Amino acid sequence: MNPSINNIARNSTAQEWPQAPRVKLSRIGVAIAVAVGLIICWRAAEIRPTAFFEPGTAAALWAFIRGLFPPDLSLEFVRVVGAAIIRTAALAIAGTTLAIAIGFPLGVMSTPTLWQRGVLLAGEPPGVMRVAMAWLSRVCRALLGLLRAVPDLMWGLFFVVAVGLGPLAGALALGVSYGGMLGRVYADVFEDVDPRALEALHATGARRLQVFLRAIWPQAKPSIVAYTLYLLECCARSAAVLGFIGAGGIGYEINLSMRLFEYGQVLTLIMALVGLVAATDFFSRYLRRRLHANAPAGSLAHEHFENERGLRSRADGRTRATIVIFVATIAASFYVTGFFSETRTGLLSRIVHFIGESFPPELNAALLRQLAWPLVQTIGISVMGTLIGIAIGAALSLPATSTLIFTGDDEAGSRSLITRGARAFVYYAARLTLNMLRSIPELVWVLMCILAVGLGPFPGTLAIGLHSGGVLGKLYAETLEEVPARPVEALRASGARPLQILLWGIWPQARPTLISYTVLRWEMNLRVSTILGLVGGGGLGQAIYNNVQLGFYSRTTTIVAIVYVLVITMDWMGDRLRSRRTAI
Amino acid sequence: MIYSLKEITKSYQSRQGVVRALDELTFDVRPTERVALLGPSGAGKTTLFRLLNATLRPTSGTLRFDGHEVSAMSSRELRQMRRRIGTIYQQHQLVPSLSALDNTLCGKLGSWSLFETARSAALPSKDNATQAMAALELVGLADKHRARADELSGGQQQRLTIARVLMQDPDVILADEPFASLDPALTETIASLLLGLAQNGKRTLVATLHDVDLALRFFPRIIALRNARVLFDKLTSEVSREDLKSLYAGDSDLEPLVDTAIETPSREPKHKQHRAQ
Repeated sequence: MNPSINNIARNSTAQEWPQAPRVKLSRIGVAIAVAVGLIICWRAAEIRPTAFFEPGTAAALWAFIRGLFPPDLSLEFVRVVGAAIIRTAALAIAGTTLAIAIGFPLGVMSTPTLWQRGVLLAGEPPGVMRVAMAWLSRVCRALLGLLRAVPDLMWGLFFVVAVGLGPLAGALALGVSYGGMLGRVYADVFEDVDPRALEALHATGARRLQVFLRAIWPQAKPSIVAYTLYLLECCARSAAVLGFIGAGGIGYEINLSMRLFEYGQVLTLIMALVGLVAATDFFSRYLRRRLHANAPAGSLAHEHFENERGLRSRADGRTRATIVIFVATIAASFYVTGFFSETRTGLLSRIVHFIGESFPPELNAALLRQLAWPLVQTIGISVMGTLIGIAIGAALSLPATSTLIFTGDDEAGSRSLITRGARAFVYYAARLTLNMLRSIPELVWVLMCILAVGLGPFPGTLAIGLHSGGVLGKLYAETLEEVPARPVEALRASGARPLQILLWGIWPQARPTLISYTVLRWEMNLRVSTILGLVGGGGLGQAIYNNVQLGFYSRTTTIVAIVYVLVITMDWMGDRLRSRRTAI
Repeated sequence: MIYSLKEITKSYQSRQGVVRALDELTFDVRPTERVALLGPSGAGKTTLFRLLNATLRPTSGTLRFDGHEVSAMSSRELRQMRRRIGTIYQQHQLVPSLSALDNTLCGKLGSWSLFETARSAALPSKDNATQAMAALELVGLADKHRARADELSGGQQQRLTIARVLMQDPDVILADEPFASLDPALTETIASLLLGLAQNGKRTLVATLHDVDLALRFFPRIIALRNARVLFDKLTSEVSREDLKSLYAGDSDLEPLVDTAIETPSREPKHKQHRAQ
């Protein structure tokens, strides 16, 4: 036909193309280390795949499932559920508000590009003020690390001791632990903005506040809003779970009904919880759409927003009403959570007493030896749980990726109703499964898995796997959807199959984000695995719970210190893993 | 006929109502022809372009590719058709995190089996790799084959897309503003690469251009679009000054430019300079 590239290749004097294998031999050592680590984790998490095939398991599961139906929808129970929903929702909103109040200032303070290094500081004269601010910034970052490292349930446990049983302790716990998380994310987002804008403004002589307001904030705003709204979803789930340690609300009721073997009530409560989480999800999605706060420019999802831009301009008149409702909701939430109730007598002395009792931490060889195995177990649970989560998430994310499943209305070629229907079915089934896995919190999964496979770290591992499978699947699907569209379209235009587009166009672009999400999830799972023991899921949680119940606060401090060291070590490892991976 | 368009209309739903991006376009393109699509921005060039590479479906009218009606094709036939069309977009068409070599290999995806795809993700076969290296050498990027696409300069990226099209070895090359963001020297390089590819390989070349001068120099046939319609469809030798004036009429920014383009051929995309003033 025409002188194809084959002929050119034959005639050219091109040197042999370098046949460098992409898997290097030197990595084998790393692979062996990873394998050994995985075996230890497997043993520590006491994974017994055979447990699923034991006759007792099936019987127990069957009894549980049969007990779930019919769900308890009697009037008095529905009233209980309604009150629990309101309490949980209020707890979530109050907690998020507190988290923003704590996280934002700390986040700004711990942004390295503002205080520690980078274009803004490169030309500044060294001075006492500058050094002091740099250190203050580091201290803020460390403080965020501490707030984040201790899991919300553990904070909850302490606040219960400090301020007494009830939603107030829950809200404080949410605010503190999610404040730490939010602050770190804010700092990361502020740091990751395009530095050229900073440089340009700095060069015009703008002050740091001006640089922040004009260069950093506009770039960071979409991510900040999106993440904050995502946090609201997390808080809703967390608020429900805090009920397990006495903050009231849905979790409390689930725990109670489980213990009373009232599985019908459990189903109602879980449906209520799923509904609440779905409502939060819907609400945050709606807000994100309104605020344009989702995808980075140039991505597929962003184009969808662009097309809907017209919807926004109409809403101006309603803005004021929205703000009023917004503020009223937050105020009501704080009221329900018990912030405005009269100061309880002796609250302050109680807190002081608790802090006094907690220090100094108990440090003797016997206690440390006693804690060694639970520590390994905690790590093992988190690793194996995350692996299960990756498997579930990856399997479900592909059918849940709309850009892979659906072809646009504008796509050329013929179309049949049947294939479109089948595709839609697969997509919605996958999304529904992911939502279900995600909206049931780990602690509830633990209770259910205990029914199936008995007490110990194994149900904890399964619970983490199921929940993170839902979370990761959703994140994976969204990442795949939001990959820059043009290279993908270029591949499609050259006749590539969907699978090829996925492997060559989407995966290479999505890989850094996917890895980063997964590592982040593992870090979260590590925190979760330290508290699974509260409901019988193994790990360090059991030790903490026992010591708090017995009033050995100084021992608790030791365990918290261990958790803190563990979490920051793993975070550090995760950071290194991510920066190496994303650099490729 | 490689392309045969009959009363092609493409309309979009927008807030102001239905907007016609293309209004009853009818023309044919013969194999090995070189056609420039000219027109002011908003005339519908890019929409037409996306119809031609079968990533968009027309609202009405029939589009035939090599005798087959596109809107009746199954997704498999569609892929086979796309395999024969090499597309060069304006920008951002390379997979940023893949190496130049991998991006070149992407051109072959359409003709690979699934096995070959999976295999190449780990290690491309020797044939494919040699072909890709030859393509890279032809565009002068052989020494950059390990560099990530996003590490290359704009001109290098544009050459890399040409290497990808070389690899694909299509019958038709569609180029959407291939010279848009290039400096004059690079424009020469890329233009000679592209035209050489079309002429030597007996391929059809359809390019959208905003630069009248380039169109007059390199393309034997010009199809001018204005307000979603074909304004004229002529051999370049028959295009008159009045034709070009009417094409850009009302676009005060461009009017004086048309004169200079006809009288003193120059290589620079002039209206860009003009706007900058």
